[in-house]
Amino acid sequence: MIAASVNGAFGRAGVMLMLGASVFGALAVLYGIRKGDTKLLKQSPRYAWLAFGGILLSCVMMQRALITRDFSLAYVQQVGSADTPALYNFAAMWSALEGSILLWALILAGFTAAVAWRFRKNTEDPLVGWALIVMFVITAFFAMISLGPADPFANGAVGVSSGPGPNPLLQNHILVLFHPPILYLGFVGFTVPFAFAIAALTTGRLGEGWLLETRRWALFSWAFLTIGILLGGWWSYEVLGWGGVWAWDPVENASLLPWLTGTAYIHSVLVQERRGMLRVWNLSLLVATFALTILGTFLTRSGVIESVHAFGDGPVGAWFLAFFGLIVVVSLGLIAWRGDRLRSPGAIDSPLSREGAFLANNVLFTVFAFVVLLGTIFPLLVEALDGRRTVVGAPYFDRLTMPIGLVLLFLMGVAPVLPWRKASQELLRKRLFWPAWLGAASVVLAVLVGATGWAPLVAFGLAGFAAGAALRQLALATRRQGWRGFVGRANGGMVVHLGVIMIAVALASSNNFTHATRLQLEQGVEQDWQGHTFRLESVSENVNDAGSESALEARVLLDNSKVIVPAITTYLNIGIDVPTPGVRTGFTSDVYLTLEQGAQSGDTLVTIQAFVRPMILWLWIGGAVMALGTLLSAFPGSKRRRATDPVSAPIPVGATAAAAPRGESEPDPAGASA
Amino acid sequence: MSFGLSEINNRVKGWPGWVLLLVVTVSVLAVGSTRTSGPQSQEERIELISKRVACPVCNGESVAESRNNASRAIRNEIDSLVRSTPLSDDQIVAGLEDSYGTEILLVPRASGFDALIWVLPTMAFVFGVAGLAVAFQRWRVQADGVADPTDADRDIVAAARQVDLP
Repeated sequence: MIAASVNGAFGRAGVMLMLGASVFGALAVLYGIRKGDTKLLKQSPRYAWLAFGGILLSCVMMQRALITRDFSLAYVQQVGSADTPALYNFAAMWSALEGSILLWALILAGFTAAVAWRFRKNTEDPLVGWALIVMFVITAFFAMISLGPADPFANGAVGVSSGPGPNPLLQNHILVLFHPPILYLGFVGFTVPFAFAIAALTTGRLGEGWLLETRRWALFSWAFLTIGILLGGWWSYEVLGWGGVWAWDPVENASLLPWLTGTAYIHSVLVQERRGMLRVWNLSLLVATFALTILGTFLTRSGVIESVHAFGDGPVGAWFLAFFGLIVVVSLGLIAWRGDRLRSPGAIDSPLSREGAFLANNVLFTVFAFVVLLGTIFPLLVEALDGRRTVVGAPYFDRLTMPIGLVLLFLMGVAPVLPWRKASQELLRKRLFWPAWLGAASVVLAVLVGATGWAPLVAFGLAGFAAGAALRQLALATRRQGWRGFVGRANGGMVVHLGVIMIAVALASSNNFTHATRLQLEQGVEQDWQGHTFRLESVSENVNDAGSESALEARVLLDNSKVIVPAITTYLNIGIDVPTPGVRTGFTSDVYLTLEQGAQSGDTLVTIQAFVRPMILWLWIGGAVMALGTLLSAFPGSKRRRATDPVSAPIPVGATAAAAPRGESEPDPAGASA
Repeated sequence: MSFGLSEINNRVKGWPGWVLLLVVTVSVLAVGSTRTSGPQSQEERIELISKRVACPVCNGESVAESRNNASRAIRNEIDSLVRSTPLSDDQIVAGLEDSYGTEILLVPRASGFDALIWVLPTMAFVFGVAGLAVAFQRWRVQADGVADPTDADRDIVAAARQVDLP
């Protein structure tokens, strides 16, 4: 296999280096652990550096191929074009299957290297060793995908000197630079806690040590996944032109699934840290989170499900399905094998307690994930078993997830005021009083501003209630500790809750109170709709300098103050039209216009699809608040475990797990307060 | 002064305060959820029906969202049916189902094989809640010390005895 270009040769060499370093790394660490060879174990980080260096080289070569328009590579023929602007040309690397696997591999090798660096002084610890083995095995899997079924450096057809460029939808908004890499940081980040979970199962060190070591990895991965998903919604809103942020598209669902199980995990893990309970459950959630990212990749990269994001069909599907099966079998096998050590001694005294609320939260998130998974794969099941084509769309998901969302909001109100162990009725009556009144006030306010319908009103009320509980907690914490009342897990978590509440309110508002119409606008004639005035100024066509894109733009003067320009961009090389909406964003509502097909330059009468969507801005603000809250909760609370402390003490054979509750060592910075 | 405030705070949080809260919330909810925001416009009806109908050539998108020609044709059909016939929303959707087949529906039916998509999540929820109830019951029994000693308990006792003996 001789590469046609230096880019192809070095690029493939880089992937081979990653594969070799991962395989040898895994074998060397395994051998080192078996033989107790500390010298060998100390070298293990080097394999991680090598693997990272290899894939970095590949990515640099891919960028070089894209920048120099090296059309000898099949991938550049597919996504490269002389006309693509530099930034989108940079992002073209992840605009199709092979390159997106390359990005995934880069981030994965980056995480492996980061783990190796973070634990470079603990390489002799078998727990760290096994975690690295798991990471190396997964890295090797992605390297094999890149060398085999999804080879980004494959030779292209001879004589090709131009290409179509990336999918037009992937080259007209700056978010394409951020949404995929950030989402991948979230997907791939969960590999680290998964690797440590498998390591804990293998070594039998099932105390809470591995949990504490991976707490921040899980938290940051979760945050990246959250931000990635929200950026996807933003991109959809700004680019796709249908006026919405979330369509329950299979690829969106594939990103939501690990988020749901991951969110369940970061809550229930607190019960294990505090009480040493729910060990099997937490391991299962981590396994589920990681396995769902792989399953999602299978669903969306194999072509079994069609979607706006799906990158065609290819042989990678079988690989991912096999890998998914392997993960599930190995993980469940290990959990069954370690069953005796996983039994935890404690008991949860009352459903009316912090741990009781976390359990209820977990049941809801799990059912939520089940609904999303079932709805996503149901068309496949029907086709396989019943031979019919069927569609499961947004109304199904909305109908089933709405009640789950409402109950989750209710739990968000109750859980923060609950103490660990047991709560009395008296205590609840006192602590929930003002949050409940804030909820009532929210309903009153919503009715006053014109909201109707029981579901959105209940959502607003519960959102106010949950916000009251979160604010109460923050107020108590800051009164006691000053600015430190914002940091630490419990307080940062409350800030995250406030962000979630903003998003819930935004979704309830925009899903229920959006107005849509088609406006026939005549040049110079003012038209009223939903309290806004619209006047068409002109319709003109502009071709870009390269002559590759022609944009038909309608200039619409909104409320006599701002010109909005909905457009239809035609990519002349491929002949595809992409409508680009014109949006005016506001704190209470957005005005969103798209130009209907059929308009021509110089027209004096055009049809505009218009939407007035309330509260959309609060989705993005809520996302920012969630990110801030995650950052705050990653800071140490009032007490910090030193990084030099032993990772985890081995459990003596024959004894049941450590019986002492962990309550003393992990004080809750704000919890259990009066 | 501060004692007075906290005393007032405590009294307010008594049962009368909660009853008042309940009355206010329920009555405002009742008013808000029963009043109508005026008669539905034709545009709103078209929008709502479009959201229930699947784009025939793309998987999972509704014709309200999809921008392709097939979806636009169905939107136009819905548009003319709403504007020029007395048919209800359900009748229009049923008519579209007759002409395009069941795969035009975005919400699966609740009959036959498709019923599974409704039954399975409900069962998952029921099992989840039942599982929690069983777990709490077991924990309570364990906490009360009512349960018989398990094998693990016996192992612990046996191990402890061995240690004590010289």
